[in-house]
Amino acid sequence: MADVTNRGGGSAKTEGVLDVDPTLPSQPADARVQGVTSFDVADFAVPLGREEEWRFTPLGRLRGLHDGTAEAGGEIRVDVVAPAGVVVETVGRGDARLGRAGKPADRVAAQAYSAFEKAGIVTVPKETVLDEPVRITVHGEGGTAYAHQVVELGAFAEAMVVIEHTGDAVLAGNVEYVLGDGAKLTVVSVQDWDDTAVHAAQHTALVGRDASFKSVVVTFGGDVVRLNPRVHYAGPGGEAELFGLYFADSNQHLEHRLFIDHDQPHCRSNAAYKGALQGKEATAVWIGDVLIQAKAEGTDTYELNRNLVLTEGAQVHSVPNLEIETGEIVGAGHASATGRFDDEQLFYLQARGIPADEARRLVVRGFFADLVQRIGLPEVQDRLMEKVDSELSRSVA
Amino acid sequence: MTLPTETAHPELEGLGNYEYGWADSDAAGAAARRGLNEDVVRDISAKKSEPEWMLRMRLKGLKLFGKKPMPTWGSDLSGIDFNTIKYFVRSTEQQAASWEELPEDIKNTYDKLGIPEAEKQRLVAGVAAQYESEVVYHKIREDLEEQGVIFLDTDTALKEHPELFQEYFGTVIPAGDNKFASLNTAVWSGGSFIYVPKGVHVEIPLQAYFRINTENMGQFERTLIIVDEGAYVHYVEGCTAPIYKSDSLHSAVVEIIVKKNARCRYTTIQNWSNNVYNLVTKRAVAYEGATMEWIDGNIGSKVTMKYPAVYLMGEHAKGETLSIAFAGEGQHQDAGAKMVHLAPNTSSSIVSKSVARGGGRTSYRGLIEVAEGAEGSKSNVLCDALLVDQISRSDTYPYQDVRVDDVSMGHEATVSKVSEDQLFYLMSRGLTEQEAMAMIVRGFVEPIARELPMEYALELNRLIELQMEGAVG
Repeated sequence: MADVTNRGGGSAKTEGVLDVDPTLPSQPADARVQGVTSFDVADFAVPLGREEEWRFTPLGRLRGLHDGTAEAGGEIRVDVVAPAGVVVETVGRGDARLGRAGKPADRVAAQAYSAFEKAGIVTVPKETVLDEPVRITVHGEGGTAYAHQVVELGAFAEAMVVIEHTGDAVLAGNVEYVLGDGAKLTVVSVQDWDDTAVHAAQHTALVGRDASFKSVVVTFGGDVVRLNPRVHYAGPGGEAELFGLYFADSNQHLEHRLFIDHDQPHCRSNAAYKGALQGKEATAVWIGDVLIQAKAEGTDTYELNRNLVLTEGAQVHSVPNLEIETGEIVGAGHASATGRFDDEQLFYLQARGIPADEARRLVVRGFFADLVQRIGLPEVQDRLMEKVDSELSRSVA
Repeated sequence: MTLPTETAHPELEGLGNYEYGWADSDAAGAAARRGLNEDVVRDISAKKSEPEWMLRMRLKGLKLFGKKPMPTWGSDLSGIDFNTIKYFVRSTEQQAASWEELPEDIKNTYDKLGIPEAEKQRLVAGVAAQYESEVVYHKIREDLEEQGVIFLDTDTALKEHPELFQEYFGTVIPAGDNKFASLNTAVWSGGSFIYVPKGVHVEIPLQAYFRINTENMGQFERTLIIVDEGAYVHYVEGCTAPIYKSDSLHSAVVEIIVKKNARCRYTTIQNWSNNVYNLVTKRAVAYEGATMEWIDGNIGSKVTMKYPAVYLMGEHAKGETLSIAFAGEGQHQDAGAKMVHLAPNTSSSIVSKSVARGGGRTSYRGLIEVAEGAEGSKSNVLCDALLVDQISRSDTYPYQDVRVDDVSMGHEATVSKVSEDQLFYLMSRGLTEQEAMAMIVRGFVEPIARELPMEYALELNRLIELQMEGAVG
């Protein structure tokens, strides 16, 4: 409040009374929504915090992941449980199957790519249809680590993959999803870190011809979590659905930066991210970059971001960018909304005898419910709702 | 489905073609100096016999202009050469008091623009026509003068109302706001100055018509509008420039102060020729209960970067921007709006419509900021883009920055091509493809066109019809 008075109430005479940062939203001149990609960390300057892709991120809390000072030495335990028919391997840096989905798009991702020692590869052979999910658990036991994981589906394979992150770590990693023609992959990535963890990761998907990729990103825990889900298409007819849920508490910084590159004709994409925030300095950043290249005729894309601010002191940055280089498209759109929850809904529930805390919980559950229901894995859905409840009870307490 | 680009919609060919591309013989401009340094700035100030504080302000602007970096975002600005621009051109020695006193070639220019007709029909309350750097013709109706409304060119206002001027000049957009605002502060010339006293309701729009004539001439007008408590004014600005080979720069600064419970509407139809860089800073502050409305049409220019802003300073202040952009071949319209909520229960709304054709590019770039303490604020943003061929481009960069919990804000954007269904429907009812296309485009922009004063709405419609004429020929 003091801040506002300072800016607005002062005499109009004093020059600079309105000198709040005038920088408008910036993009490099005539560049696409996304810039350089490279495997080489040297191709990216050390971010200073003014750069478009870093200006929302608290660099000081990245523990050196961004400037090369973070030395690997921590312990990360990765366990993979897969049904029969799935090939699970751990390979060295030289394996030819690494790096095919796409190159790192920022300095931290490139750092991770240059620094990991062993990579995990999960392969679902062609035409294999799994009825049980593949489970990958990533547990941090302190310290800095770099990681790399590939999930590959052969043509017409169908699989579900659940990746869970828990414990304490400073982790930079890349995950690649390579989908063969007609393959179907649903992947759920849960970030349920301890409050001290730092996690930066790029999730790159290469979607084959007529393949369909569904990604659900769920971020609850961690000091700083910055995820960059990216989608490219390898042939026409591909479909990508990117769903996300996040719940930011006091002093948490949760950042999701999507990039959907429509580089093939007749592909579809649909992104929907929903987040709730509570507590001082709880910060959520959501960037949704969609590029429709000139050759991507017949594209159909939609993006949505919703934020529910539960208490004072939280911050939301929501930027759904859209660049379109052809008019020959089916449709393109986005929507973003930020608000507190509806007092009328609360009143309605309370008028029916439901206590305020309970009513509040119901409203927030309702906010997330439609996304959760689209995951398609009942046990994951139940756990997520429990998680939402426990986050809420923290705010009530 | 895939039609050849340029022949598919010939009715839109004319979009981006420039109808006002004549050039009058240019006696004043030819002699003016090119390039910028301290001498040029001192010279401008001396020729205008300005007070010392204004010279100091200009020199400060010049210093900051040298320090500030070129923006690295938005459009490609590498075509601007600051050393070849004429920063000050004086076309007539004195201001004319009536239409007849204007020099013949200037009168011709305005005749072509249709100014006297508008005047005769009393559609406008006063006409301030800016020919190159100074206002040469200026008239205000007697009844407005009696009400105490001041409507002058900015240079005259500095002479006649120095206290009022000094109180507000540079307070909304400081000299160091951005590189182009610094440049304007250093070399500004002309523009409009409006003061509407408490409670005065100006019934009819005040109107200024700007026009750049000299090749490579920078146009740096400075407009300052103060709407005192409970007052209302609608200011209309239109811009037209002839076509020259090399690129011109237009960099205006518009500052508006809307006091308690007052209302201001500012309408611009920008139709610069396709070699003008139009880099403009426009900002308003709205105090308690005040309303600021920007209606911003961008049809011409090579590059436009313009984001009218409203700083909502007092409780229940309201900001509204209606933005419309057409980009044809070689044009980039990077337009949008900025709303900064600094007080509780403020509201803002942005509606943006854009049409791109022939390889043109439209960008919506906007920022909604809700500062701490601005509880109960509401904001809504709607962006629609229409693409009529495969080679045009449309981008949306909407930024939202929220720092309070009790807030409601939304943003929605759609980008669509002209639908085959709509075309088919209209053509099956006897319209030609060209007529059908024009009707769809008109329908698309209608929500904004209806907010324009009559003559501007007509001009907009005429612009769309022009494309159909091209098709018939």
